Amino acid sequence: MGLSLTVNGDHLTSTADPITPLVDVLREEFYLTGAKPVCREGFCGACMVLVNGNPTPSCLVPVALAQGHDICTVEGLAANGGLNPMQAALEACDAVQCGMCFPGMVVSLTHLLATRPEATRDDIRAALTGNICRCTGYERIIEAALLALATK
Amino acid sequence: MDTPASRSVYVAPSLMAALDALDEGGAETAPFAGGTWIMRAPIRHEPLKSRYVAIGKIPELHAIKVEADVVEVGAAVTHAALAVALTELPEFDVLTAAASRSANPAIRGMATIGGNLATTAFAAADCVPALLCLDAEVEIASRNGRERTGLEQFLTMRSTLAPGRLLQRIIVPRRGRKTVHARLPLRQAGDYPTAIVCLAVSLDDVGDVQTARVAVGSVEPVARRWERLEATLVGHPLNAAWAAEAAAGLADEFTGRDSVEVPGWYRVRVLPGLVRRAIAALGS
Ligand SMILES: Cc1cc2nc3c(=O)[nH]c(=O)nc-3n(C[C@H](O)[C@H](O)[C@H](O)COP(=O)(O)OP(=O)(O)OC[C@H]3O[C@@H](n4cnc5c(N)ncnc54)[C@H](O)[C@@H]3O)c2cc1C
Ligand code: FES
Ligand code: FES
Repeated sequence: MGLSLTVNGDHLTSTADPITPLVDVLREEFYLTGAKPVCREGFCGACMVLVNGNPTPSCLVPVALAQGHDICTVEGLAANGGLNPMQAALEACDAVQCGMCFPGMVVSLTHLLATRPEATRDDIRAALTGNICRCTGYERIIEAALLALATK
Repeated sequence: MDTPASRSVYVAPSLMAALDALDEGGAETAPFAGGTWIMRAPIRHEPLKSRYVAIGKIPELHAIKVEADVVEVGAAVTHAALAVALTELPEFDVLTAAASRSANPAIRGMATIGGNLATTAFAAADCVPALLCLDAEVEIASRNGRERTGLEQFLTMRSTLAPGRLLQRIIVPRRGRKTVHARLPLRQAGDYPTAIVCLAVSLDDVGDVQTARVAVGSVEPVARRWERLEATLVGHPLNAAWAAEAAAGLADEFTGRDSVEVPGWYRVRVLPGLVRRAIAALGS
């Protein structure tokens, strides 16, 4: 018997071992390769997805416990192949460097934009404590978040 | 995805069901709370258990009860939920700070207070010294009933806790003390603390320290009270510089643990600075 998951609105079935990290199922069974297993420790945020709307490192969620929850990956954030306002602001600010951290950054910042429209620069920094950018592109990422908040 | 297919995760619908499953599973079964420690077992080269009992859906483990003389916290309360619940209670500033500044926002929404206390191998747990200086007790449940014990005692026995036992609640007395949590991560946020100093004091009418609890975390493998410093503080007014000097004279009782990020001696060396910072934060 498989495990039933709801990912980006689709009902999917996984045959993985129940303790398998969700990120591995997303990538290897469902081919949703936006979330990346980088540290597998909850430190870097490259695997961030929304679980019931909350940013959650998918490397620390066993797939069995993802059942019954609404999972949204970076692939599900924007409709019809477009960009959501946060993604558009990141592009406008030329914030992307190697891109490794970006699926996670976009997930965390999309949540911030939706839940904290009054967020300050410090709030953005605090919200990104669990998203590491190895290219250290933080300043432009924060500028993009401020732009997205200002134009909301 | 190379995990053997024999593993299972049972989502317990009630406390009794969890205790039954833990009891029946024996040594190969463990509680699964936030999973932020368990899921990193492969990184630590540790084997996973063959069966986990997920306790996140048990209502009483999520309860926070604020009474006149005591606060009770269910073991599955997350760091984030605890910090929100205690914000209006200044006597618990030490615990609010511990719960709201550890790790990062996503982890704080997953990691539980019970997991923080139950993880024997985790020396840098922020809530452990915070609860030590608050004289917390814990309640342990098993199929055969409940037992209550002081947190200090629990820390000595947690690694040998018999299978089938579950940390159910944390009970914290309300004594109206001034409390503070001082931690030193390597980066400004998101890292494990190099050292933690937690303080709870009561003052007499003239502002001298009447009772003091000081707890130190992350320096040695297990957090503990700093009783010599407590005794030194009693009878004196709170003075950050003086207390830091006293701490420097007493710090040799600690043997810092070495790790890849920090050598043991450094963890001890930063203690007087953290004592200074803690006392200054109390307004002295
Ligand atoms: C990136 C990252 C950074 C972190 N930084 C910090 C930090 O700065 N400070 C800090 O304090 N912590 C930090 N943590 C650690 C985190 O707080 C602990 O991993 C967490 O508290 C463990 O709780 P959990 O609910 O996730 O436990 P789990 O991983 O579910 O369980 C951990 C252990 O406790 C046992 N257990 C859990 N609940 C109970 C119970 N009720 N009764 C008996 N046994 C139980 C489990 O069987 C297991 O052995 C960090 C974690 C991560 C991933
Ligand atoms: S891979 Fe999950 S947080 Fe780094
Ligand atoms: S853009 Fe390279 S890691 Fe962030």
